[in-house]
Amino acid sequence: MFIDIHVHPAFFEPINQDEQREELRHRELDIHRNGTAPLEHIFNQMRCAGLDRLCLLGQDYTSTVGDTLVSNEEIHQLVGLAPDRFIGFAGADPLAPGAVDRLEHAFTDLKLRGVNLHPGRQHFYPADERLEPIYALCEQYDRPVMFHAGLSWEPDTLTRYCHPLCFEEVAARHPKLRICLGHFAWPWVRETAMLMVKYPNVYADTGALYFDCAREFYQQTFTRDIPVTWIDRSLRHQVMFGSNNPRFEQIRMAQALDQLGLRDSTLELIRGGNALEFLGGSL
Amino acid sequence: MYIKPIVLLTKTYNEMDVITPQVEQIVKESEIQNGMVTVLTKHTTTGITVNEALECLESDIALFLQRQAPEDAPYSHARMLRDYGSTAGNPAGHLKAYLTGNHCHFPLVEGEMIRGGAQDIYFCEFDGPAKRTILVIVQE
Repeated sequence: MFIDIHVHPAFFEPINQDEQREELRHRELDIHRNGTAPLEHIFNQMRCAGLDRLCLLGQDYTSTVGDTLVSNEEIHQLVGLAPDRFIGFAGADPLAPGAVDRLEHAFTDLKLRGVNLHPGRQHFYPADERLEPIYALCEQYDRPVMFHAGLSWEPDTLTRYCHPLCFEEVAARHPKLRICLGHFAWPWVRETAMLMVKYPNVYADTGALYFDCAREFYQQTFTRDIPVTWIDRSLRHQVMFGSNNPRFEQIRMAQALDQLGLRDSTLELIRGGNALEFLGGSL
Repeated sequence: MYIKPIVLLTKTYNEMDVITPQVEQIVKESEIQNGMVTVLTKHTTTGITVNEALECLESDIALFLQRQAPEDAPYSHARMLRDYGSTAGNPAGHLKAYLTGNHCHFPLVEGEMIRGGAQDIYFCEFDGPAKRTILVIVQE
């Protein structure tokens, strides 16, 4: 089972029937010239990368942008079109009125499997007390949190909200809450490794590719910025494959992962076993 | 002038697809009898080429291009592109497209596209899978 835990479906064709909404997504994600992707193309891409499942992340930027970029209903719609291939995560805007109720609706009625938050774009610190009701709801329903961490290419993002140290209080206060630092919180991969080795409820995904090609960037990040042995020996149950597609390249990143020199058993965990645990133990 | 697109969803990273029948159908639809046919890809990591439609030649061409533009060579194009907001990981595809060219021409005489007996038109994908558009242009 090979799972991409970090996919943004903003340009999937079934949810892009409205030109203005598509334009909003291009503008607010700062992703251009990519067109929209029919599901058949998504499936072709998955086959080329060897992927069995994609975790699709909702994005709710109501407070800062005035709208969702991908609503929970759209995530629910996409999962319904391919339930054997897609896993759905809700988006939540913790600072918007009614956020907790909407998230509970997403967990219960829409059957979404976790929540996606972007502190840098939504302008909050993860340890902000105003987030506590969201974390409590996730614990109540045993749902994990995917955080954007580290550099974000999206406009109006402030990286100071996304440093790994900003997440430590959340990990410490909520030992039963599974949280993922998306993008390995690049460039702070050593700090992310520090959190992971101390807190077993902290996961990280591999969705970073800001320089060079996938093979070169993965070699730099996961064999030199931190030694590959740190992952292979100590963090092997907490790292998940994530591509951050469509910003980055799912197929080449999947190939680059294989070239890191990890044990086969570690690769299996990163490719899927850890994602299953992150999701609560099953699909 | 008559222009019509062929839209393809390619299935693999690199592939060669014969598109001669689709081109000839569009030429027929144009109802133009004499002139020139141009087949032009709209992309920069794809190619249009003319060759004999044999499996062995497709394999030889693919390996030849792979030797000229290996995937794991160091390329300046491997970097974040601001205009796209994404990383360019397809320099090998651009170079293969550069070698292949992006179009071909055939004369049109009395409604028939004149081509040699061994000539077929290939669309070449070098950065798939992707949704691709090829223009068939028939000029009087």
